[in-house]
Amino acid sequence: MKEVLKIKNLKTAYFVGKRNQRILHHLQNLAVYEGDLVSVLGLNGSGKSTLIRSLLGMQKSVESEIYFQNTNSRSININELAKLVSVVLTDKLEDNFLKVYEIVSLGRFPYGSSTGSLTELDKEKISMAMESMNITEFANRSFSQLSDGEKQRVLIARAIAQDTPLIILDEPAAFIDSPGKLSIMKMLKLISKSQNKSVLLTTHDIESALKFSDKIWLLSQDGSFQSGIPEEMINNDLINSFFDKDGITFNKEKLGFDID
Amino acid sequence: MLKIEKILSLNNKTFSYLFFLSLGVIVLFLLNLWYGSVLISAENVLKTLLGNTNNNSDSIIIINYRLPQAITALAIGMALGLSGLLLQTLFNNPLAGPSVLGISSGASFGVALVVLSGSITGINYLMPGLVFGNILIVASALIGAFAVLFLIIFISARIGNIVVVLIIGIMIGYAINALVGVLQFFSRSMELQEYVIWGLGSFSKTTLTQSVYLSLSILILIVFSFFFRNSLNVLLMGKNYAQSMGINTKRMQFSVLLIAGLLIALATAFTGPIAFLGLAIPHIARNLFNTSNHRVLLPAVIILGAFIALVCNFISKLPGYDTSLPINAVTSMIGAPIVIWAIIKRSKIRQS
Repeated sequence: MKEVLKIKNLKTAYFVGKRNQRILHHLQNLAVYEGDLVSVLGLNGSGKSTLIRSLLGMQKSVESEIYFQNTNSRSININELAKLVSVVLTDKLEDNFLKVYEIVSLGRFPYGSSTGSLTELDKEKISMAMESMNITEFANRSFSQLSDGEKQRVLIARAIAQDTPLIILDEPAAFIDSPGKLSIMKMLKLISKSQNKSVLLTTHDIESALKFSDKIWLLSQDGSFQSGIPEEMINNDLINSFFDKDGITFNKEKLGFDID
Repeated sequence: MLKIEKILSLNNKTFSYLFFLSLGVIVLFLLNLWYGSVLISAENVLKTLLGNTNNNSDSIIIINYRLPQAITALAIGMALGLSGLLLQTLFNNPLAGPSVLGISSGASFGVALVVLSGSITGINYLMPGLVFGNILIVASALIGAFAVLFLIIFISARIGNIVVVLIIGIMIGYAINALVGVLQFFSRSMELQEYVIWGLGSFSKTTLTQSVYLSLSILILIVFSFFFRNSLNVLLMGKNYAQSMGINTKRMQFSVLLIAGLLIALATAFTGPIAFLGLAIPHIARNLFNTSNHRVLLPAVIILGAFIALVCNFISKLPGYDTSLPINAVTSMIGAPIVIWAIIKRSKIRQS
């Protein structure tokens, strides 16, 4: 299968000042394949966001050899990268006047387009992205007036309109109610399968991650790292040994947590 | 699909607003030529504009005083509105405006050095009719403003964090104002008064030639700003998103700061610091056109800026006779309530 993202060697780290660094994780020979949905799981402070930001070059890492579509990230310029990876971040949008369709159409910027000068292809990609996230009906509303769940769907639609083989999402389900979380994961799963896009996301929602992901990456606070297919990880007691704590245990049958 | 296509086209309302505002600018421009302390008939205004200037004292007043004043107001309104919009988008901050970068303080410092040094040299540079003094003031303001602008750009190139750049700009402004305060302390009251009057701002300090060169320079900067109409929209989503869509944010920060800074430097050098226009105009434009899209906002702030500056200039002349209100008093009285209204509206939207 085609490797959309290949991490040959990546040492993520915290930097305190210029010299002082603390290595968080050392990842080697890890890949995201075409059409796969990969969830990065880990407790608070385990370095999930650091991993995402390091992959995107938004944060310094100690060593990094990463390939997007078999091209070393060092030889990809910022504009080419925008056609290979799109993102959904946790950054807040402050603007009060941006409309939903305007935000989604910003996704076409890497192709030299913007609202007002869109080609037929751009318009097609934009409307497809809005349909797939089910936001066409409020295309003309202000982004600031939407609920958190609706906002997240708009931001994902923007990433889809960017038309990249890989979408990376940092906590797409944070601040959203449980049904909303499930529906977002379900939509992402559908996109990865129907549009053959790869999806890499971080989440705190272990249950929906196990249900919808093709692969799980487990990051622990002590720097160890594990990856695998959800069923195998559950059957090998990896999930239990990772998350069971203080009388809260993972129930393999229910795919949920029990409280003793 | 059909529905989206309809939504995506810029609507007719935007165009008709821009059209009527442009008409308004032309009407206000003529009003500013017609109205003043000396009564001039509309017929003579038109005659003069059409080139018929034979030995007419009315023509002299129009060509030498009212025309440069109106051109300056028009150009400064455009410059300040545009620089305010650029800075508000760049800093992602509704309170950013021409005064935050310390550039106008730099201009003030240059002028303060020259004017207040009159206390030592005994030369009165601001004496009316002293052409050399006028050019000296403009030059010293430009040098002061450029010095601060390049300091800010130098800092911004070293520090990627735009919020830090904003704070440093404000701090530089405070430090320079303190220096001006020291200069004022050691000055004679005559020079001090002249400096204070310069600080109140005026559209009537330029000659016709100066006003034309000023407008041309501002026009060139306006053209450059239009190259950023799409990337400014992307920047509304924040620095990280902008990077992920292929924008070199550091380079863009440099270019936008340079354009906005040059606009502010030019405006302040020729008219003194003009309060509130740069801050208020982008807010009015966003609320009037109900958009943050820079493809609409860039032309909107430029036309609206010219419109409002001409309104302010007209109001400042209303007392008649040979006095006019200081332009800063008028812009502040109009600008402050507008900013308050826009900020309250903004917070209301967020709460709902």
